[in-house]
Parts: sequence; structure tokens; C-alpha cells
Amino acid sequence: MPINRVLVANRGEIAVRIIRAAQALGIETVQVLSAADRDSAAARLADRAVVIGPAPSKQSYLEAKLLLHAAQQTGCDALHPGYGFLSERASLANLCREHDITFVGPDADVIDALGDKLRARAIAAEAGVPLVPGTDSIADVQSAQRAAEDIGYPVVMKASAGGGGRGMFIARTPADLAGSFDKASTEALEAFGDGTLYMERFVGNARHVEVQVLGDGTGQVVHFGERDCSTQRRYQKVIEEAPCAIMPEHVRGKLHAAAVNLLSKLKYRNAGTVEFLYDVDHEEVFFIEVNTRIQVEHPVSEQVTGADLVQLQFRVAGGEPVSFDQSAITVSRHSIECRINAEDAAHDFRPSPGRITSWQPPRGAGIRVDSHCADGYLVPPYYDSMIGKLIVTANDRASAVERLAAALDEFTIDGIVTNLPLLRHIVKHPDFMANEISTRWLEQSVLSGFQTEGA
Amino acid sequence: MANPDPRDVDNLVELFNQSDWDELYVKTDGLEIFLSNDPQASGPAAPAAPAAIAATPPAATAPAAAPGEPAPVAGAAPASAAATVPDGMIGITAPNLGTFYRAPKPGAPPYVEVGQAVEPGTEVCLIEVMKLFTPVSAGTAGVVREICIEDGQMVEFGQLLVIIEPGA
Repeated sequence: MPINRVLVANRGEIAVRIIRAAQALGIETVQVLSAADRDSAAARLADRAVVIGPAPSKQSYLEAKLLLHAAQQTGCDALHPGYGFLSERASLANLCREHDITFVGPDADVIDALGDKLRARAIAAEAGVPLVPGTDSIADVQSAQRAAEDIGYPVVMKASAGGGGRGMFIARTPADLAGSFDKASTEALEAFGDGTLYMERFVGNARHVEVQVLGDGTGQVVHFGERDCSTQRRYQKVIEEAPCAIMPEHVRGKLHAAAVNLLSKLKYRNAGTVEFLYDVDHEEVFFIEVNTRIQVEHPVSEQVTGADLVQLQFRVAGGEPVSFDQSAITVSRHSIECRINAEDAAHDFRPSPGRITSWQPPRGAGIRVDSHCADGYLVPPYYDSMIGKLIVTANDRASAVERLAAALDEFTIDGIVTNLPLLRHIVKHPDFMANEISTRWLEQSVLSGFQTEGA
Repeated sequence: MANPDPRDVDNLVELFNQSDWDELYVKTDGLEIFLSNDPQASGPAAPAAPAAIAATPPAATAPAAAPGEPAPVAGAAPASAAATVPDGMIGITAPNLGTFYRAPKPGAPPYVEVGQAVEPGTEVCLIEVMKLFTPVSAGTAGVVREICIEDGQMVEFGQLLVIIEPGA
């Protein structure tokens, strides 16, 4: 059933993005707000805005019942969850279904299945999607050494009961295994009450790559190419690109096929992202997880394919089939996105909310800025620190990096501290320009130096 | 009536409630009172309207404008939390978005009427969210001077529900 009126159950730049996509399709919009967001761009752009609760997100954007009540009372027939907040909670999708509100996302059971890491891995394995080579539990040093011969050094031993690095070590030789196995097992036993260890291949030169897909719920799934999101800090993406310029065609083909195959089997409906670890040295990709929402970095895929992914989300949620096949989607040019955050990179990335006295984004060909900010906007302290995204597109990666550097130089944000200085530093770094980076590059090669300089 | 006795006000309210009048407006030295059965009323039409005794009307619950005919920006604005409470009065506001009910269940008498004395713990209304009903207490001792929302209307967070005159 086509959607007539949607409740926008998010805030910030993605709320603005959703409203504009809805408006382009003739869908009316009702924006929910916390008290802190009364004067937001989304509140002004939407056909109607309702304040559902006080500033803390637990009492507003994370309160599913308030969202549903607002949707019902304002005559909405759909709810768009955006990203973050409740976007990947099966309970919200369920609540929507119970009350005849179309959830712009997959069915609750699909969210559930893909949200559980072990179930998602099992589904991926069944669909023939490669997983990082690894083992079940390993009893002793001798079995560990035999397993490592099969997997190939270096390997990483991990505690099956926990995380946080406890009981974990990297082994590059059989001697490393012999030297650290017992100690790690004891450490795991002390930390988690279970000393069981298992082994995975250690991917030293890893990229984070992900495939943007769209399914209509019938098994028809298409992809919009891949993104490379290897510039990360503490598993948070900082810069995202499309395509992954260093990936050979034969790997790219396997990557896309794996993603489409996985979601096609689930009869997936919605935009989604299948995340992979790319082992650059072995030219292999391994499944990480599926994100069942629209992602922060979706614009780079839009820029290189010409698609409007949020509009497509509305279309498939409203029951339209994916009416084009894969051959209709071509990836051309190169696009890079920077997340602009209200945080002070020179002081341990502490958040820096406050009043923006001047907001002057760059303009020009190939420049897109997705943001809810403007002169005089007060960045509230209650939410994520992202205040916008700068997306540049050019014919190839080198010219995109050049254009990005110029655009970042032109970007002026006064009144609050932002990560613009760090972003400028990253994009002018020789490793970044040469595209010789990995998921650990930003932390290992850039941040220590940058923080010393900044301090 | 230079020194109005609270009982005079009570009597006026009582008189009004038992009447079939739509409005009552009295102004003397030291007392100005406007009573109305219309929750949308903002004061007497005549000069010297008491400042904003009624809350900003709740945002319309009628369906939004048809496609291609977007609602005007003013209409799109959320209900303001700043609906003013007269000097010396205390406003009770909605703790979250929900549906406002004056009575514990349909057909039951309302929790409170205008003119009624309340204690801090007196329940004055219900806010319903997806069939979960949460009573709202007066929070202060005084007299109910206005009920700003019609029974069964959606209210937003911070919207003025009831006005109490403390210690009256």
C-alpha cells in the first residue's frame, strides 16, 4: 500500500534527509521532536511537528510507545526510523505491524535474525558467504598449532566467553602459541569464568568494505556497489568512500554476489548494508554483519550511482517492486564523505556542544552537504556529536581527494569546536592520498601525532 | 470588593457552573475573573482581556494538508511550551506526548472541575500512551482555575494542561 503520511522518528541531518525524500514522493511528513529539538530544521521542514518528550533520548526518541502514539494520533500510515536510535529494534517493527503502521525497514524477524551475530554468521555460511577462517574451541597448545597450520599465520586467539581484549593474543609463529596459550586461557578464566579459547585468522592489512543493497521483499535484491570505510577511530567511521578503489575486479564481483545472495535468500525488504572485512594481502573478503537500516554513509553510493536510496526505501516499504535489474545500476566516478562532528580531536575527542555562530559550508560542483545546521543553531548536548556530512564527488579518487581538501579548507564553523582540523589533516596525509590505509591506520599512524600537535 | 475574599471567587465559580452561561467576566478593584466553557477562549472580547488566561490551542489533530498543499509553516510548529500562565498561577504541563483525559474512565465524573480545591497529591487528569494511562497530580495545593485541554485531545510534551492558583 503506498505511503501517504510518514512519521519521521529521528532527528538531525537524517530527519531532514528523510523529509526531503518524502516530499519528493508526495508523502506528507510528521516530525517527532524532543524538547531540545523544537527549533530544528526538521521541525520547520515537516508538514507537522510534535514534541513527544523531554530532551533525553530515553524519554523521547528511544520511547517506542510515544512514537507509535504520535503516529496514530497524527494519522500517519508509516514510520521511518532513520539510523541509530530504534532503527534496528525488532520490537519497533513489531509494534508498527501490530498497529497497521508501515515500518520503513525489514520485517521484525529479519531484523532479529541479522541482529544476532551468531545467527547472522550461520545464515551467511548457509548462503555461501565467506567467514573469517577460524575454529571452534581449542583445548591445548598442540591443537592450536595444528589449527594454525591450516588457517595460516598470523592467527588471533580469542576468549569464547568475552571480549574487550582479555584472553586475546596474536600469534605469528608456533612458538608464540606455546608461549601465550596458557596465560591467555587463565586470563579468560579469571575474567569470564570460562577459559575456552578459539582461533581466527589475524587480518593485519584489513579494509572495512560494505555493499549497499536494496530488496523488495520478494527475493529481488540489487546492489549499488561497495563502500570503503577503513578510516575509523574506535570502530567509528570517520571517512567513507565509494567505490573501494584498491579492490581488484574479481574480488569486487565476489563481494557483490555474496551480499546479494545473502539478502535474497532472506527475501529482504528495505535498503541494507552487508559489511565485510577485506584482507588486502590475501585478496579475500569475509562477512562481518548486516545493517538493516539506511546508513550514515549512504550518500557516497547515491553520488556514484545516481540513485536516491531513501526514496527507494519508501517505495519498497510501500509495496512497490524493485522494477529495475542490476544492469540498470552503474557505478561511475568517486565519492568521499567526511563526518563533521562537534568534538575536539585535540582533547581526546571530547564533545563540544554549543551555539554555532557561523556556519559556512563549501559550495561548488561535486559538493554536497547533508546537515541540519545553520547560523545560530544550538548543538544540544544530549545526542550524537555528528552535525553534518560533507560529500564530494569527482571523476576519480585522486581528484576527489583534492576537491575534498579544498572543500574542507573552505568550510567554516564558528562558535563550537569541530573535527574539521583533523579531517583536513587526514585528507592531506600522504598515506590517505596514496590510498595506503587500513582500519587501524587512523589510530596508529595519524592520531598520536595529531593530538601531540594539537595540544 | 477591594479585598476580595477567596470565598467570593468560589461563589462566582459555583454560580457560573450552575448556570447555563457561556462566559462570565467580572472586574473590580483587586479582582479580575474570566470564566468560560469554551476551552479555546482566550478572554472576554471586550477591552482589558486578562493576559493569555487560556493555553495556546493544541495543534489541530485533523489530518495534515493534502499533498501539494503543504500546511503553512506556522501551523507546522509544535505546540509551544511557553503558553503563558498568568502571574501567581501554576501551570501543570504534559510529562510527554499522549492523549489527555479528564476522567479515570469514559462516563465517569472528571477528576477535577474549575474552582475545585486540590491538594498536591490530587489527581487532575490522565495522559494515555498506547493504552498506558498515567495520572497527573496537581503538585501543589490550590484551586483549579482552568482546564486548558479538551477531553480526548492529543497533547505534546510540555503543553499546558491545567492552571492552579496556589493556596487560593
